[in-house]
Amino acid sequence: MESPSLRVYEKLRQSLGEFVGVVGFQSLASRALTLARPEAPSLSAARVTSDGSLQGLGEIETQIDMDKDRAGEGGIILIARLLGLLRSFLGEALTLSLLRNAWPSEAFDDRNSVHGRKA
Amino acid sequence: MKINKLPTGVPGLDEIVGGGLPEFSFNIIAGAPGSGKTTLAHQFVFANATPERPALYFTVLGESAIKMLRYQQQYTFFDPAMLPGSIRFINLSQVVLEKDLGAVLLQITKEVEKSNPAVVVVDSFRTMIRKPESDLDLQSFIQGLALFLASWQATTFLIGEYAEEELHDNPIFTVADGLFWLRQTAERNSIVRKLQIIKLRGQDSVPGLHTFRITDAGVQAFSRTFGLTGHAKNPPSHRRLCFGIPELDKMLGGGVREGDSVLVAGSSGTGKSVLATQFIAEGIRHGEPGIVAVFEERPQAYAERAVSLGLDLETPQKDGKLKILYLRPLDLSVDETMHSILDAVQKIGAKRLVIDSLAGFEMALSPGFRADFRESLYRMIFALTGIGVTILSTVEVDESFTEFPFSTYSISFLTDDIIRLRYVSIDGQLRKIMVVIKMRGGNHAKDIREYEITSKGVVILGERLTNYQGLISGIPVHSDRSDSTEEPPLDTGIERKT
Repeated sequence: MESPSLRVYEKLRQSLGEFVGVVGFQSLASRALTLARPEAPSLSAARVTSDGSLQGLGEIETQIDMDKDRAGEGGIILIARLLGLLRSFLGEALTLSLLRNAWPSEAFDDRNSVHGRKA
Repeated sequence: MKINKLPTGVPGLDEIVGGGLPEFSFNIIAGAPGSGKTTLAHQFVFANATPERPALYFTVLGESAIKMLRYQQQYTFFDPAMLPGSIRFINLSQVVLEKDLGAVLLQITKEVEKSNPAVVVVDSFRTMIRKPESDLDLQSFIQGLALFLASWQATTFLIGEYAEEELHDNPIFTVADGLFWLRQTAERNSIVRKLQIIKLRGQDSVPGLHTFRITDAGVQAFSRTFGLTGHAKNPPSHRRLCFGIPELDKMLGGGVREGDSVLVAGSSGTGKSVLATQFIAEGIRHGEPGIVAVFEERPQAYAERAVSLGLDLETPQKDGKLKILYLRPLDLSVDETMHSILDAVQKIGAKRLVIDSLAGFEMALSPGFRADFRESLYRMIFALTGIGVTILSTVEVDESFTEFPFSTYSISFLTDDIIRLRYVSIDGQLRKIMVVIKMRGGNHAKDIREYEITSKGVVILGERLTNYQGLISGIPVHSDRSDSTEEPPLDTGIERKT
């Protein structure tokens, strides 16, 4: 079964790929993976292929699924780094716009941002 | 049938393209890298895209979409909320790299049919020609794209890097309805940007090269017609505008005619700026807002100097009756200067304008524009006086004791009235004299009058100087003549303004 992190990653790949191109997304994802690895050693086996897809994450998450506390942690860190990269390049508003495009039915807010409403 | 015109989103450009860009037109923006092509296209996109009729922005090779948006969003026109609902960026690099132009066309067609866009941009279409395909292939691609997008009611921009020499005999340009050429050239240490509408079908665009600037608001264009296309020329006025110097106003037959261009010429220290300041202050006293364009000193310094003449320029500035413009030196174009002046004229309803001085103005221009200074001045004076503004320009002339030049620019023909100030050597003193050389709109005194600059400004002394010959040479000879100094009557036939 596909892990939640991988589903999110794939959705981002499809959505952002249209915008930045396959090569553009592949570069971003590779950078995100490099940034995430020191925080999540479980990502050491993961790799971004030439079409931008991620290999190695699903298997890892399935293996560590036994440990509920760490379930999907590597994938979450990777997604966080990917979004962090987008945010640093495009800013918060534009990043949120792109996420809304990928998940049009989801309610996004920026409650955690310095500009957003406080929780 | 009238073709619907779309706003370009670029300040000043609507005027240049004849009121807006024709809807469903197929346009090419060409120019060297860094000339502002992408920014111009973005402004058009942000001005016209809606959720119902979005804009599709196809990026190909070259600048990555992320970097492009990273920089473009620094401009004030960029509204992130319009992405992706109203503006969608689609990257075609993979198709271009892996397939042929037919596949690219197919991909664009698919996206257009899916989104029903009002605006389509391909940036940069030139990078699609990286494969060694024939010109015919590219021409067929462009032809196919143009036909398809026009049928789908999209206004299109293709962006391409082109060098100047590629402009001629390029079949690609034949297909386009509009061809916008952006240039960026270095002139000594200044950078000058110019825009030319090479062609624009069905539109009465303004010909020639128009300067533009890229600011934090994006591209801003400055039309050679100064944004005055369609403005009716003011009918000739018979009103006279005073200096508030009774004797000088009398010499001018009651003042300068409204809508005239007045040149005050003299060497350094003769009081040209003082006279100009009095002219503006007098206007404000009579409820005529004014603008002073200064190039050689800051507005604060200008206002402070006026205080020493007993003139308050601070209060009218606060009241919106006066604007002192300090125009950024060294790389200005006349069109840009005019834009600032016209903007101020419209804001405060100015009736009087002082340009202090023409020499400073010329220095503020980039070198290329200095070469066209006379032609530019002609356009500027014609445009401003045409809308009823009375212009007083000061100009420094090299004092000579053998000649009596009116200006160093040979621009006397551009001015309606000329007042000449100069030094003369009389009785072991260097004194100042003033004479009205010319008044196009009527009679004026022929007197040569001595004047002084006092704490009340320019004050004309006594009667006309009748006991000297050769005054305008600067080295007069005392004569024994003792004619009456009674003033000859002036018959101007013109209403005097007090």
